[in-house]
Amino acid sequence: MTDMAFAPLSRSTRKPGLFDAEPLFAATGLLIGLSLAPTLAAMALDHRQFLGENVWLKPIKFQIALTLYLLTLAYFARWLPTGMTARRSYRLYSGVVIFAIVAELAWVSGAAMYGVASHFNVTTPVMQGIYGLMGLFAVLLTSATLVHGIAIWRNPRTGLAPALHLSIALALVLTFILTLMVAGTMASLPGHLVGTPLTGATVPIIGWSREVGDMRAPHFFATHMMHALPVAGLLAVALLPQRLASLAVWAFAILLTAFITASFAGALAGLPLIPQF
Amino acid sequence: MQSDTLFQLSGPLAMLGWLALAASPLAPRLTQLAASLVIPVILSLGYTALILANWSGAEGGFSSLPDVMLLFTNPAVALAGWLHYLAFDLFVGAWEVRTARSASIPHLLVLPCLALTFLFGPIGLLAFLGLRLVHGRFATQTTKGAA
Repeated sequence: MTDMAFAPLSRSTRKPGLFDAEPLFAATGLLIGLSLAPTLAAMALDHRQFLGENVWLKPIKFQIALTLYLLTLAYFARWLPTGMTARRSYRLYSGVVIFAIVAELAWVSGAAMYGVASHFNVTTPVMQGIYGLMGLFAVLLTSATLVHGIAIWRNPRTGLAPALHLSIALALVLTFILTLMVAGTMASLPGHLVGTPLTGATVPIIGWSREVGDMRAPHFFATHMMHALPVAGLLAVALLPQRLASLAVWAFAILLTAFITASFAGALAGLPLIPQF
Repeated sequence: MQSDTLFQLSGPLAMLGWLALAASPLAPRLTQLAASLVIPVILSLGYTALILANWSGAEGGFSSLPDVMLLFTNPAVALAGWLHYLAFDLFVGAWEVRTARSASIPHLLVLPCLALTFLFGPIGLLAFLGLRLVHGRFATQTTKGAA
């Protein structure tokens, strides 16, 4: 039954849609996006705060981020080698990734519902255990970028311009490496802030501290590598001759990695990304 | 938003669905869209948001009658319970209209069942199930007699 429901469509005459290559990721992404309706409504009704923000802001951020993450992967999945997503081993793997994503969201939302910390919560052995398990799940869900990145990299028949092909594959691989570096370090700290804020000044909407180091900033940049570098690849292909285009993608990738590493080092040193003036 | 405001909004919304069901022979598809999808979805979203926001702060539970009664002393949870009634009753009403239509039960006979479902949910459901049972028998007998 599931085999039939999620079998990739092999009609090559039609333009590939979001649901064709990785329907499980696309469907889950869509459903998580739709689940924003009740949580946004809950935020409007609920006045409880956690660390100075509405309790529902964090689940909402996670919902937006994971929707974008899954839909991006589902979009890029059309350039995976033909037949890869139909393989039993891959289906098992992608099922585990989706399970990890849903578990992560359920945990963050449940914690919001009860007004307790979902991350960095080591108050009881049970909470400590769950926090450790969530770390494992986070690595699992992020690993999809590495798996897809390598598979797209090694696929000679994507039909993409070389520079664009490179930018997508490289972006996915770097997203995994950099996110793991930043988020892994963040998890080993007592909280996402490095330093003690006095006034509580933050960047609007995103909520990063403007007084002390905030590890969520480099995490944001590291994970959005999967969007930034392909956009650069698209521009390079449009504006530059072929050989220069690939070179430009490499150069931009190095530049972005340097920027992310710098913002990472800055946050670790207790410096805000956008200081107060 | 205050619970009172939500309560005052939810009544007319459900009423709209019921009026549409009463007049459903005029526009069967539109009625079904409103009464079995759009309005129940809006009410269900309201319910979900209320439960997400207030469940952890409410006393009581489902395990005993005093627990359930204690649960409904929380205004937000009581409102959620009310939205639950409104959403599910309307959904059942839409099902009755749909079922009656496919079984060729005259709408005039369904109207009293709708009124009962609107006011006392389960009583209306029982009435409609009874109507369907009886109507089916009559139809079979008539067909046999004609053949």
